[in-house]
Amino acid sequence: MAPKVKEQNIAVFGESGSGKTVLLSSFYGATQEPSFLSSNLYQVLADDTSQGLRLHANYLKMSKAAQVPPTNRFDAVPYSFTIRPKDGDGAAAAPSSSFGALRLVWHDYPGQWFEQDPSSDEVSRRRVETFTKLLKSDVALVLVDGQKLLDYAGEEEKYFRMMLGGLRVGLEKLKDDILADGKPLEEFPRIWILALSKADLHPELDVQGFKDLLVEKAAGDIVMLQQTLKGFVQAPEALSLGEDFMLLSSAKFEPGKIEVTERVGLDLILPVATMLPLERVAQWAEKVDMPLRMLGGLVDHANEFAVVLTGAAGTLLTKVLSKVPKVGPVLAPLAVPALAELIKSGGAKLEEIHAQALANRDYLTATLTQFRLDLDRGVKDRLLVKSPW
Amino acid sequence: MVDLIWATRGRSWGFRFLLFGGYSDPLSAYERAFAGIEDDVEVSRRAEERVALRFLDPLNRVDAAGRIIPHDFVVWGPLADDIHSVEDGIQKVWPLVVDVYARVWMNEKAPVAKEIQSAIDTA
Repeated sequence: MAPKVKEQNIAVFGESGSGKTVLLSSFYGATQEPSFLSSNLYQVLADDTSQGLRLHANYLKMSKAAQVPPTNRFDAVPYSFTIRPKDGDGAAAAPSSSFGALRLVWHDYPGQWFEQDPSSDEVSRRRVETFTKLLKSDVALVLVDGQKLLDYAGEEEKYFRMMLGGLRVGLEKLKDDILADGKPLEEFPRIWILALSKADLHPELDVQGFKDLLVEKAAGDIVMLQQTLKGFVQAPEALSLGEDFMLLSSAKFEPGKIEVTERVGLDLILPVATMLPLERVAQWAEKVDMPLRMLGGLVDHANEFAVVLTGAAGTLLTKVLSKVPKVGPVLAPLAVPALAELIKSGGAKLEEIHAQALANRDYLTATLTQFRLDLDRGVKDRLLVKSPW
Repeated sequence: MVDLIWATRGRSWGFRFLLFGGYSDPLSAYERAFAGIEDDVEVSRRAEERVALRFLDPLNRVDAAGRIIPHDFVVWGPLADDIHSVEDGIQKVWPLVVDVYARVWMNEKAPVAKEIQSAIDTA
């Protein structure tokens, strides 16, 4: 029987030319390298073979022919990937898990959809449909185009205002269509990460420098965007923008050459999409006075992930959790604090669980703990800034 | 009226239809013509009496991200009879739009399709 799959959605927002399709192609293409499987505990499979081939072809054309992927013109495409822990060789399932694999859905769409009104009614309808789906993701990446940042050197505030303002105005324009019944959404990206794409063009900037530049030059624009986002979501106090930052570079671009092996931050995308929402739920549960059920599907994710993550630890709490028959809101008051405790306990505890999971050949737990450890590594390597506990 | 759908972009404005070929919404006719060859950089393919034609801007004009701008056409009727290759397309179709494109490609805002059609009809 195929393992039950837990789905996470990621929304990548970026202007036309900011590198969305290149990022997606490079992300997937790298996971298809023979060396990937031998150095990772999981494999990434495209759920639609033809989509996988298309992305892989994009990647190979970049690598072999220095050819960038074609742009999306009039269509948005959700790309769905299953992240399956290694199996065979006596691999064991996580003892208490209710799922055995992850699915990442990544929506790619024409960047100009925020910048201009469509030329056709059907494109207009697709645009609303796409963003309605997109805005049900857990995490949103907002791409700051590294090339534009160079073009506006010395007056970056102009670019930030245009870019963040464009996103804000675009969302405002779509608001009535997306909130069809006028009610704020329960499922909405609650974590908005500001990500520098084409970071290879800024070798002098680490993620802290990027954050400082944005805060110095665009704090007001970030606040305005935050106000707009709050108008879309229930329990808007559980929403973060301007707290998380990352660096991304899909490849090193040189005249006549695209070096796809020189990537930055792409191996943080899966950890960010899967683990950051859980970490944030645990934080919000402690900081914000509201019922956990207000966080919608995020709580379900937290429940099930917490069972897997704490499952190998063999604690009393794990035993209690594993005896709770129903996964869902009933479990949340137990699972979320357990998750919070695990995260607060720091890397040593996670390393221990990770090592134990590896010893047990429980590759699901090993993969998820690795993702969580990867977030810490991203912070240490100055590729990721995440909100402090 | 020319039997032509034209989709392209400018330096700042993104992909849109500039000629509708008489359709109220040309998207489905465009997608039918380009089905299976969406990713081809340059193409000329005939199917059902229509030619899907794509070529890169003959003057190498680029968008804001530095990518050479492609021009996508769906051509039918007498004009299509003479198009058997990308080169044919550039020779036969490009002259119809070259002037109007030169006027609008650098504009900050996207042009209005009706004005493009009118400019070509009166040329």
